[in-house]
Amino acid sequence: MRSKLKLAAMRRELRGIAIALLLIAVTTAVAILLRHYLGILRGSVLYLVPVMLAGYYLGVIPALVTAVAGVLLSGYLYFAQLYSFKVASPQEALNLVLYMVVAVVVSHLANAARRQTTIARKREQEMSDLYAFSRRLAAAASAAEIFVAIQNHLANLVQRKVVLLGAADAGSADGVPERLRAEVARIERDEGLGRTVDDGNGNTWLIRRVSPKTPDFGSVAVDLGTASGEALADMRQRIDDALADAAATLERLDVARALNEAKMRSETELLREALIGSVSHELRTPLSSILGAATILYNAPALAGDARLHELTGVVRDEAERLNNDIQNLLDATTISSQQVRPKLQWVEPVDIVNAAIEHRRRRLAGHPLTLDLDSNLPIVRADPAQVEQALVQILDNAAKYSADGAPIRVAARPQGPAVVLSVHDRGAGLSQEEKAQVGGRFFRGPRHAATTSGSGLGLWIAHAFISANGGKVEVESDGIGRGTTVSLYLPASPDAVASEVMPQEAMTQEAMPLEVMPLEVMPLEVMPLEARTQELTSQDVTSQKVTARKVAAQKVAAQKILPLNLAPPPVTPQQDPALEVLPPEALPLESHADE
Amino acid sequence: MNEIPSSVLVVDDEIQIRRFLRTGFELDGFTVQEAETGGEALRAATLKPSDLVILDLGLPDMDGADVLERLRAWSTVPLIVLSVRANEAEKVRLLELGADDYVVKPFGMAELLARAHSAMRRQLRAARGEPVVRFGPLAVDFAARAVFISDQRVALTPKEYRLLQILAQHSGNVVTHQHMLREVWGNEHVEDTHYLRIFVRKLRRKIEADPTQPRILLTELGVGYRLASDPPAAASGAPPATLSPSTPLVGNGAS
Repeated sequence: MRSKLKLAAMRRELRGIAIALLLIAVTTAVAILLRHYLGILRGSVLYLVPVMLAGYYLGVIPALVTAVAGVLLSGYLYFAQLYSFKVASPQEALNLVLYMVVAVVVSHLANAARRQTTIARKREQEMSDLYAFSRRLAAAASAAEIFVAIQNHLANLVQRKVVLLGAADAGSADGVPERLRAEVARIERDEGLGRTVDDGNGNTWLIRRVSPKTPDFGSVAVDLGTASGEALADMRQRIDDALADAAATLERLDVARALNEAKMRSETELLREALIGSVSHELRTPLSSILGAATILYNAPALAGDARLHELTGVVRDEAERLNNDIQNLLDATTISSQQVRPKLQWVEPVDIVNAAIEHRRRRLAGHPLTLDLDSNLPIVRADPAQVEQALVQILDNAAKYSADGAPIRVAARPQGPAVVLSVHDRGAGLSQEEKAQVGGRFFRGPRHAATTSGSGLGLWIAHAFISANGGKVEVESDGIGRGTTVSLYLPASPDAVASEVMPQEAMTQEAMPLEVMPLEVMPLEVMPLEARTQELTSQDVTSQKVTARKVAAQKVAAQKILPLNLAPPPVTPQQDPALEVLPPEALPLESHADE
Repeated sequence: MNEIPSSVLVVDDEIQIRRFLRTGFELDGFTVQEAETGGEALRAATLKPSDLVILDLGLPDMDGADVLERLRAWSTVPLIVLSVRANEAEKVRLLELGADDYVVKPFGMAELLARAHSAMRRQLRAARGEPVVRFGPLAVDFAARAVFISDQRVALTPKEYRLLQILAQHSGNVVTHQHMLREVWGNEHVEDTHYLRIFVRKLRRKIEADPTQPRILLTELGVGYRLASDPPAAASGAPPATLSPSTPLVGNGAS
């Protein structure tokens, strides 16, 4: 290959020399004609013209050949001893030497000027290409347009074949010679950024990833032909520059696309909310009329006399309520399945949740003797009260649904470690081992259950979703078929949330909070035991040593985490109360002890 | 409850709802005025002021909350909001805008009437300046700043008394957490609901027979608290719950 290259260069050089000699011949003919017809005797400068032309167009060697031939011929034609190659006087010899020097210099200058022009022209072309490329990139609205721009630009740059690969909108590897495929695949697999490969036909291919940061934008294979050495390095540099530009634009587009998607998502969300809201409104408005009218009829004196009619209106009312609950379940299910459950956390008294849920299902539970076992000193939990209540309502519904009329239901709220457990125990249908494994799935209803009662099978699934969203868990226990079921909702403590909920220290001092709630500020746990104070504290002079006392309390709490709870209520001492009312606020820290 | 029948303005765009509300209120001795749109409601409230307004939130011409806001600019008429939105934040917003109470659709007529009477009682009490208000066994003497359960004096800390006083002033209507926190602890603590939980628990120990089954100081989950406007009914109305022997009775000495 190397000898081939040399041969081509030599051929090009020989062609230049031949043309140069031709030029000299033409010049000589012109000189002879000039002398013959016009009698011009001193025209040796004429021979500088072919030297210049050869220098400019053909390169240095043809120019030198021209110069030497020019010296010889002008010596032959113009200098003393005409028509002879001999030079008569030193003066003439000096002239010839000077001519020679001038010819060489001129040929060099001409050649340099030529090269400069060529480079300048090339630069200009490149600049305008690059500019057009940048403009196309800037205007590109999609990755596909960018890939077309890259392809065109690179093809322009190297004047050879360019194949884009890998990216979603680009072409396949069809245009790439067989030997390159493996390399291309490696680049696409994110192994290395790029390399040059010989395709076996003497052509060098450059394979590059469009973006060095990510293989997502695909890669490009450029046929660099026979370029080598400096030319190859130069070409690589320019391809890399172009790709860097393109990659930057692609990244910009990628960001824009992400933004676009986010916008789309939030619009979908809005739409869904609007739809849910509208369905809820459309269904509930007529339901409101039915239920409202039914409650009026139920209490109407005119109907009270007829037991059957009275009972019928009760049926209308109860069924309307049931329909309303079903709508609520469907809305909840929609919210859950679209992953829109976002608990609005607040501090909640667990007992309040239990009472609200029971109140909500008062009529539903009317046929079952209800036993409540609620700890009056549960930790306060952080949860979305509406969601936890809705979960408990589902469990209560199931308990009522799957146990016989008159079968007792027991609802308990107990602390367990730092968590609170709300549990519902019934003596109903129970669950087999197999059913227990399946229970909680959406629309799951055991065949035994489906045969006896109606329902959507959504209840436990909704409960599970809501409790999970609040960081808790649902556990189902059963001793077997016909032996009842216990469903427990665990509401956990999440210690990280407490910091933001804590009262600022200075506000505490200014406000003279009753000491009973002081430990709040240092509670390491989300769950706060009520009246977490120590016996030591009560014996201190808290009026004067308020802050110190608080620190002691703080240390106590920090050390013990949860203090023994003081459940004994203070005795009522009415005489102390009026006195308290007139105390200045500074004395208020005493108030909790004054009660005792 | 008065010799002159009370009047109620029912604002709802659904004719069926207006119809049953009319019947329900008329059976309870009210005279009823109806309005279909927000504009109509505001005109009616100006031309022929009523003793009570029932306001639906989904009106065709303007948002119910706007009607409420405009009405509250010049009128203190007792107002109950009808909402289909079971959204606690929305309820709180409406209460903060000046609604006396809310009822979530669908609702029973008895529930609405109870709320309505509470709201009207509050208005009446504010006008008369009654010194003592009663909620079943509970009596709050504003003048003496004293609280009684079944005529037994209950010792309360100033903050406990203040909480109970605010609730009593709202005479059975719901009071938002934010309102209570602002009134008792100041503006900067409106988010500190855990204070409220703890104080309410302490209060219940002092005034409720069974603090885990409150009959006087009731919770509106996610919204606030109210005093039961009709506690005897709740107490005698055969509650479905029976206390198990294991329930620790942590009441107070007063009950």
